[in-house]
Amino acid sequence: MDIFITGIIMGTFYALLALGLSLIFGILKVVNFAHGEFFMIGAYAYALIALRLEVSPFFVLLPVIVIGMLLGVVIERLLMRPLYQKYTEWGAMRDEYAIIVTFGLSLFLMNLANQIFGPYAISGPGLRPLRERVILGDIVTMSSHRIIAFGVGALILIIAYLLVRYSPWGKVIQAVSQNRFGASIAGINSVRVSSIVFGISGVLAGLSGALLCPIFSAEPFVGALPAVKSFVIVVLGGMGSVPGSIVGAYLLGVLEQFGAVYISYTYRDTFGFLILIIVLLLRPQGIFGEKAREV
Amino acid sequence: MEERRALDLILSSIILAVVAILPMFVTSPYWRGVLIVALYYSLAAMGWNLLGGYTGQFSVAPAAFCLIGMYTSALLVYYWNWAPHLGILMAIVSTAAIGLFLGWICLRLRGPYLALTTIAFSEIIRGVIRFSYDITRGDLGLSVPKLYGGGGRHLAYYYTFLVVVVLVQILLYLLIKSKIGLFLQSIRDDDVAARGRGVNVVWWKTFAFALSSLICGLAGGLYVHFIGLASPEMGLIMQSGLIIGMTVIGGMGTLAGPLVGGLILQPLSEYVREFGVQHMVIFAFLIIIVVRFWRAGLYGSLKNGLERVLYHG
Repeated sequence: MDIFITGIIMGTFYALLALGLSLIFGILKVVNFAHGEFFMIGAYAYALIALRLEVSPFFVLLPVIVIGMLLGVVIERLLMRPLYQKYTEWGAMRDEYAIIVTFGLSLFLMNLANQIFGPYAISGPGLRPLRERVILGDIVTMSSHRIIAFGVGALILIIAYLLVRYSPWGKVIQAVSQNRFGASIAGINSVRVSSIVFGISGVLAGLSGALLCPIFSAEPFVGALPAVKSFVIVVLGGMGSVPGSIVGAYLLGVLEQFGAVYISYTYRDTFGFLILIIVLLLRPQGIFGEKAREV
Repeated sequence: MEERRALDLILSSIILAVVAILPMFVTSPYWRGVLIVALYYSLAAMGWNLLGGYTGQFSVAPAAFCLIGMYTSALLVYYWNWAPHLGILMAIVSTAAIGLFLGWICLRLRGPYLALTTIAFSEIIRGVIRFSYDITRGDLGLSVPKLYGGGGRHLAYYYTFLVVVVLVQILLYLLIKSKIGLFLQSIRDDDVAARGRGVNVVWWKTFAFALSSLICGLAGGLYVHFIGLASPEMGLIMQSGLIIGMTVIGGMGTLAGPLVGGLILQPLSEYVREFGVQHMVIFAFLIIIVVRFWRAGLYGSLKNGLERVLYHG
């Protein structure tokens, strides 16, 4: 039970990450390899601001949201525009450009953080004092920061999901991800939608980084593993599928915890990769995905 | 087409000739060492170029295959006292096999699956090597014998690497010129059309990935018996970034682009290190700029410029 709850908690943070990645894939059909760096910057922003200002850590989440938003929008504006402004000419070059440019961006942000903040881990204060424990019933003991961070994360996840699913903006996002060309004929400004999606993605990943910061600490390369896990999740759930990414996140979170306890704690991070291989072998379209075209 | 390919060949030969006489001008052991490392990176970049530049498939983990090459040879030599040459041979076999397996799994699908799988693979394989402390001694690394015994024999290593680079370069040239090369490039330019014309797209993509992995494995195997230490650090994403950056900045899909990239960027990164700058900050920035605004890269621009002068003006 203990293991299951820990898995669900981790799954929530994975879901925040994977949702943003999945939205971007839906809109642009490309993978953002710099996604882990959104997470890393969120963690840094939280730790640095919370350590400077004497305010409740809850208020620090606000600037993290703003920073994540800005980061996403600026990156979309500077680097993603060629993907659709010359939409017809690019053809085969799209994947090439997107993979290399986001991979380069990922390296750039990692090393920039390393240059500016140094390779040291900076830990932020918890939303509740980190040593405080909560005992739920007589089965689970857990730090109260974890519980509250989980609550905040789950709340944000639900809000984000409802927004994408039901709000007018969300409908626009869905339209563009179903058919970019058709949506633009219907009068939707698909460039602005891409910008918004990148913003949302930055916010979700940044918040995930901020909420996990007291547990993992901010350091330049902290985003790498969460990013890899969110890549596994989007394949597991089905590329570009929003419900798929959430279900996939919880599945991975729980499986990983069970693996860590019952199989091997040292190799816990390898389970994700094994799951990825199994999914690609047996069901390459993922749980909710449309069948990927085979060539 | 024939003329252009001839120019590519001549220009590449000139660059290789320059590389061959370089040690006459670079006499300090330190900088000769830097050049050897540069050749290691060039070799790996040539492997990646076959996949990314000519076939249009993207692995983001060339360094992971270098790492596997290193550890294959290192473990065989360390535990069973194999000769380093045989170890390097097995490094080639193991990386080719893993390349075939991963390629078989994720190249059946279109889209970014190869990139996703390789990035996960690279983080995981490095983790496994680090945490399998009993076998690999983790972060401490494995000390292995060098190819030519003790220190101070930089020239021997330099020319060993150079001979391998030349051989691989010739192999790649012949490959690209052949029908197979046309298959690969047709997949890059339009995989659906290539399939329509009867190209076995999945097989040739897998072939390119396996061959590219093999070249990285060879580079890793050679490197470990030059440095004398296998360490998980060489499989960092950063190392893959360096290899990809060298290819992109040197010129993707050109014969000597990776070599030019490697030989310029590696010494440069040693140089800027003295100023306390993280060289990867600059390189990553260059990768973004080059791929955004300057597709041809260094070697590509040089070749295009010469072409214009020779054939059109």
